[in-house]
Amino acid sequence: MTQLNNAFTLFLSLLVEAMPFLLLGVLLSSVLLLFIDEQKLIARLPKNPLLGALVGSMVGFLFPVCECGNVPVARRLLMQGVPTPVAIGFLLAAPTVNPIVIWATWTAFRDQPEIVVLRIALSLIIATIVGWVFSVQKDLKPLLQPAIAKSWEYNFSPTQDFKKSTQASPLLQSGTFLLNQPGQMVRMDATVLQASLAATAPTKPLSDRLRLLVDNTIQELRELGAVLVFGSAIAAFIQVAVPREVILNLGYGPVTSIIAMMLLAAVVSICSTVDSFFALSFSSTFTSGSLLAFLIFGPMIDLKAIGLMLSIFKPKAVIYLFALAAQLTFLFTLFINLQII
Amino acid sequence: MIGGKFKRKQAKLSPSQAKSRAWFFTWLDVLAIGAWGILMLRYWLTGKLNLLIHPDYFWLVISGGIGLLIIASSKAWQLLRQRRSSKGAIVQHVTLFPPGMSSSLLLITAIMGLTFTPRVFASQTALDRGVTDSLGATRAQPQAFRSARNPEERSLLDWVRTLNVYPEPDAYAGQRAKVQGFVIHPPELPPDYILISRFVITCCAADAYPVGLPVKLSTSRQAYPPDTWLEVEGTMATDTLVGKRQLTIQATSLKPIAEPENPYEY
Repeated sequence: MTQLNNAFTLFLSLLVEAMPFLLLGVLLSSVLLLFIDEQKLIARLPKNPLLGALVGSMVGFLFPVCECGNVPVARRLLMQGVPTPVAIGFLLAAPTVNPIVIWATWTAFRDQPEIVVLRIALSLIIATIVGWVFSVQKDLKPLLQPAIAKSWEYNFSPTQDFKKSTQASPLLQSGTFLLNQPGQMVRMDATVLQASLAATAPTKPLSDRLRLLVDNTIQELRELGAVLVFGSAIAAFIQVAVPREVILNLGYGPVTSIIAMMLLAAVVSICSTVDSFFALSFSSTFTSGSLLAFLIFGPMIDLKAIGLMLSIFKPKAVIYLFALAAQLTFLFTLFINLQII
Repeated sequence: MIGGKFKRKQAKLSPSQAKSRAWFFTWLDVLAIGAWGILMLRYWLTGKLNLLIHPDYFWLVISGGIGLLIIASSKAWQLLRQRRSSKGAIVQHVTLFPPGMSSSLLLITAIMGLTFTPRVFASQTALDRGVTDSLGATRAQPQAFRSARNPEERSLLDWVRTLNVYPEPDAYAGQRAKVQGFVIHPPELPPDYILISRFVITCCAADAYPVGLPVKLSTSRQAYPPDTWLEVEGTMATDTLVGKRQLTIQATSLKPIAEPENPYEY
């Protein structure tokens, strides 16, 4: 009974702490999605793969989403014709390299500023490298989910009516896609972003935009809030059910500590806006490298995000992303543990 | 994929059915978000927030609660207005989870939070997490350290911090102590010893860690069961416990007290 009560208290404490950050993230992302013209943004992106990946990794500053929010945005970017390295860089880095997460990390690790700096720097580097590697694949279609590739084709019909486009026969159209035409809408089959897409049409009056802002905020809050409830429940369960000694014993070795924390990050699937508070509870006993591994790897890949990513990519591509990100995180944080960097 | 299934199911509904379904789910969203706003503000108003997070972050929770209420009420206002003027269709969004599931989950958690009261961690948790008289195993470094304090004015955490700065138990022998905390019966200590402890939090309950000092009693510890809150007065002495020299309080008076409003130390 005590255990249950403790687990519930922990669960509530994680949620109460995370909810304001989630709200802030959702509000900011809604505001930016509604008031930033993506078409212009895309037009200015560099074509060079390495530079593109780097810029993509930093676009998170404009779309401050956690790893639950970045997948729909990355998918939309891909569909709108953003170069692959930019989209992959964004997908991996945006959950970490954004003002809210940086602020939250700073709040939690004020005593260890090096954690904050290294988290951002290493996330940028890893996301850029992975984005760059993916630029070798010029045509991303073989790696995309067939549903996406297909919807890609019939989504570029010049209608913004959701019902019409779903009822339209999914006949293959010829290979020319009409991109960047003013006023043309692209239907997202997933999602929360539909409303915001509609809102970016320049003809919409402000009151409509505000209404859509509230709608978008509510939808993201509902979706991400539910994922957060799951994440917190798992985290609370692990904290109560697994004696700390078991975890702490893993935390001493330079290699085992990193593997343990990466595993934990993948399993717990806690949102990047709040994961630094979670890591804080391990900070006393784990090596800095392993804490960084948790903070870098978790936002890129976790159980919850894999589910979301499978809505864009085929499993093969997700495995590539996973393996590359894991290896790079492991290497860099091992260097830190061994004090090579 | 889930969205795909849902889409097909939606297609079978008549427009009016789809509309009333959408209406229901939108209200469910409003309820769920509103309930979370109420929950967060209620924890603050009833002082239960103390049990969950560090006071430094109260403002975050309070403004978060207000923000959630504003969003919920603006949507509710909009829905009510829409019904009156009965124009403007509700957009049915296809989402990751089946409709209503996410908001139901949020609503259920909020209702659970409103019904059950979170409880402060107790001795078993402290034992699970490993009580020490050292902050070395923890991240928190002493931040506001006042060594000029009278020994009997030091809280338990002050003692632990002092001991961390100058870890020589003999230096404190004979000083008077008066500390408050809850009782732990560590199995490895002899039966006339208890551990008087407090949880320290840096951010939220997830990172709470216990600190404590052994107390030597003149009787068996059975009179002071675990989790009882005590005010212990006595003098400091050095004991060798479990093969380690430790600063110990030789108790002269033990007074049961009520669990403090703010059970954690910071």
